[in-house]
Amino acid sequence: MSYLSHLRVMIVDDMTTSRMLIRGALEELGINQIAMAADGEQALKALMVQPLPLVISDFNMPKLDGLGLLRALRAYQPTSKCGFILMTGKGDQALIDKAKPYGVAGYLAKPFTAPIVKAHIERIFGRM
Amino acid sequence: MSTALRHQSSSLAAVQSRVGKRHHVLQGEFFVTDDPEILLTTVLGSCVAACIRDPQAGVGGMNHFLLPGAMERAAEKEAQREGVHMMELLLNGLFQRGARRQHLEARLFGGANMFAGLSEIGRQNAAFAESFLGYEGIRVVRGSLGGNQGRRVEFWPVSGVTRAQSIKAAEAPVPMPVAPAPRGNEGRGDVELF
Repeated sequence: MSYLSHLRVMIVDDMTTSRMLIRGALEELGINQIAMAADGEQALKALMVQPLPLVISDFNMPKLDGLGLLRALRAYQPTSKCGFILMTGKGDQALIDKAKPYGVAGYLAKPFTAPIVKAHIERIFGRM
Repeated sequence: MSTALRHQSSSLAAVQSRVGKRHHVLQGEFFVTDDPEILLTTVLGSCVAACIRDPQAGVGGMNHFLLPGAMERAAEKEAQREGVHMMELLLNGLFQRGARRQHLEARLFGGANMFAGLSEIGRQNAAFAESFLGYEGIRVVRGSLGGNQGRRVEFWPVSGVTRAQSIKAAEAPVPMPVAPAPRGNEGRGDVELF
């Protein structure tokens, strides 16, 4: 039993279909404790009540985008240390540069596959 | 196939070329505009184009995609990711120009069964597009999917006027990696107004 089965993750994406695909990829890796939010604001509210060790968030979202969510999480002590993977468009270097100072653990360029997500998670939490 | 799709969608800004106010959307591309004079065109065989607009914000756009045909479960997921990505690029482009999700209306075209043996591909693409819009709660107003003839589609994204014309199989674009049919092909067939 790998630690992945104990890992709690929040997926933040405004597209239902994207959330389902990411959820599917995480479940393939044995991650089953998955919370979901449809935008940054919803995610922030939930994470302030119940901080989670890993957040995988889209960038383009209404209300609060991925970068705004990252900054808010870093500013709030209980969530300031969580792992944060930002989903970006391919080669969006300007966004990557903006997010860097806030301690992003990785960038996932959409569309991505389960093994790529796994590599990112292993980089944060170590190999399983 | 998937690599080619990804490559195209990432470099679309660079390859988009306009002829007057007419813009042709090729496989793997999308285009969003709030310019009422711009006409978007495409030619479809098994591929699907989603024409989506927000009539209140006066913005609209079109994409053009083909999910690689896939029987295996793993490959099917991969294909879906590509398709979701193509839809997401179009929707994010619309949102960035002020569109609101609840105001969006979509028309879907394409997904024809063009070739014996490849007939599943058109159907799969049409089914994917319909279920995607269903999941995202985006209203499908009209359009034309399936059949066994290719389509030439014209869409004015701001006014929403849409025209689809059926074309001969020989004039329909062959899915990538072979280049799509060149611009300016004179098609013959029925004209449907949407």
